[in-house]
Amino acid sequence: MTWVEIAVYALAATTYVGYLLGHSIRLGPAPEVAAGAPEPLRSPAVARGMLAVAVGMHFADIGYRCVRGVNPISSTPEAISLVAFLIAAGYLVASFRYRLAAAGAFAVPAALAALVLARVVPAEADAPHMGSLGRVHILLAVVGVAVFALAAVLALLYLFEDRQLKRKRFDRVVGRGTPLDTLDRLALHCVSIGFPIFTVAIVTGAIWVARLGLLRQAVVMRPEYALAVVSWAAFGVLLVARLGAGWRGRRAAWLTLGGFGGAMLVLAAYFLRHAA
Amino acid sequence: MAGAPIDLLVLGVSHRTAPVAVRERLAIVPDGFDAALAELAGLPGVREAALLSTCNRVEIYAAVSDPDAAARAMGEALARRAGVPALELAAHVYEWREGEAVQHLFRVASSLDSLVIGEPQILGQVKEAHDAAGRQGTAGATLNACFQRAFRVARRVRRETEIARNPVSVSSVAVELAREVFGSFQGRHVLVVGAGKMSELAARTLRTHGATLTVTNRTRSRADELAVQFGASARDWAELPAALGEADIVIASTAAQGPVLTHAMMKQVHRARRGRPLFMLDIAVPRNIEAEVASLDGLYLFDIDDLQKVATKHREGRKSEAADAEAMVRQELERFLRDWRGRQLAPTVTALRAHVLGLAQAEAQRVAASIPSLGERERRALADLADGIAKKLLHLPQMALRQDGGGEAMSMVTAVQRLFALEVAAPAPLEAEPEPAASATVKDKKAAGQ
Repeated sequence: MTWVEIAVYALAATTYVGYLLGHSIRLGPAPEVAAGAPEPLRSPAVARGMLAVAVGMHFADIGYRCVRGVNPISSTPEAISLVAFLIAAGYLVASFRYRLAAAGAFAVPAALAALVLARVVPAEADAPHMGSLGRVHILLAVVGVAVFALAAVLALLYLFEDRQLKRKRFDRVVGRGTPLDTLDRLALHCVSIGFPIFTVAIVTGAIWVARLGLLRQAVVMRPEYALAVVSWAAFGVLLVARLGAGWRGRRAAWLTLGGFGGAMLVLAAYFLRHAA
Repeated sequence: MAGAPIDLLVLGVSHRTAPVAVRERLAIVPDGFDAALAELAGLPGVREAALLSTCNRVEIYAAVSDPDAAARAMGEALARRAGVPALELAAHVYEWREGEAVQHLFRVASSLDSLVIGEPQILGQVKEAHDAAGRQGTAGATLNACFQRAFRVARRVRRETEIARNPVSVSSVAVELAREVFGSFQGRHVLVVGAGKMSELAARTLRTHGATLTVTNRTRSRADELAVQFGASARDWAELPAALGEADIVIASTAAQGPVLTHAMMKQVHRARRGRPLFMLDIAVPRNIEAEVASLDGLYLFDIDDLQKVATKHREGRKSEAADAEAMVRQELERFLRDWRGRQLAPTVTALRAHVLGLAQAEAQRVAASIPSLGERERRALADLADGIAKKLLHLPQMALRQDGGGEAMSMVTAVQRLFALEVAAPAPLEAEPEPAASATVKDKKAAGQ
């Protein structure tokens, strides 16, 4: 099931990337034989169809594991798989509302990479007893990271399109891309949604660690905790700068990527520690 | 019944065959349109007529009973209108008959014969031509069937190819580029600096999409004049930096001999804008905006060459899409002609069946009446026998008539009608048929980046 999911995600990702790079797919009968046949499907519709299938399978997979007693935050691989699902599903839903086919070239490969990672990372042998606070912390952190990942995808596409327009390479933008203003607004929405979730995740995480009596050890011995706070602060600065000082465009996109990069470093540090 | 597959005739001139000097002499003014149509419908050999007159073509579409006589009369009518001898005009006139005439109509409606392939206006103009003929009563079964099918083919071509996807005029390319930055123009502020034809076109298009316009010019009175012309507000030249700070889109098109919007000026404006994107179009020659301005973050500057480059590329893209569209037209033509022949055949086949089956039953009844000893069962068997023989006899002639044999099949129809002295009802109209491609209409969903 998992590898089939990965294969369908990979097909969707390839189609989206191909679309962004100007290679269109047309599925359907040739014009000479097409009378009475349905309209041929073009790249964005084909890719979205594939993605919908992949997301559906992924959802069923997560549901099946839950029924078997493996909840989506019970281990690192499960949590990463949930992040992948949230990125893909979030993008899929948004793509029905906005012209976001080009963003698929970033969002779907990101979800694919996360899913592959989830399948190659081993589960922790000594998973700590989480309790309800620990579960809330991890769930919120996972959702927060997924929402920030979507913001980062939009920021990446913003920078890509900005560069193409500045260099006057219109082929990959005109009629294909998402308007820069829409990308900017959507990225702000994502950060506005992700920030409070991530804030609560940080606070619950701190309380959880304190209750376990590990707060001092965490601050001194584990840099990922400090990194998490730095990422959170970066998104906080971004929100204040955007809403207060009217920051927009490239600077906002770079800061979004910086914040997300920090969040990724937190995860990387966590994985490395467990792998060691 | 006619011996040809479809008795359509097209005679006309277009941008491909005649210079504007000829086309303008043939163009029909709106006031004289009805009279011209009535005159055409009254020509010898013409049963139905429609007239298409645009800046790139003047064409007569006619259903004819005598193609040669009709073509001659139509050519003379065109020559009279142009005020030149028919022989002189003949060098510019093209003529299409039967299937080729239908194909030409399909190509024209689908914008494959247009000066700018894929331009959308032509379909409306063809519809107007058909409507006018309908109002005047000069369109009948043949023209209605051809035009209705042409509209459907044109819609299919637009829906299933990308022939009309990308803009090809400089002003619409400008609008499309701005759309890549802003998505929607609703509530956006457009500042027009100076005035030129191109800036006027772009500004007007943006206004129809919901943008508000402001005009500024070195001469205030000229700015006021332009503001009235554009439906915009006017600002003093001295307020240019402030106006730039408020604008989302700037269109520069002054007659100045050097840059009007310098890098230093735009740097100050840029600081005040706090990263708010600014889309700048410099469509003046010499250019009005210093090229270095493009290096500022969030500021997108395009000049006339950029727009021309995109327009040229889109034009080439349309040409490659046109190959698919031509294939569709050929396929739809075959389908239409097959339907048309079927439509012409159906009443004859029905009449032939009724005639032969009626005769057989009448004979069976006559024989049954002459043998009083026959019981009900025998009478039924006799009726079935007559019916069966008649149907077997009819089978091969029906097959031969229904075969896709073009003109041959049509002459067989005529022969059958004469041989059996059939009274044939008028064919049913074709218009009630389903769309050539039954898929749902899909339009470009570009509004507001959604």
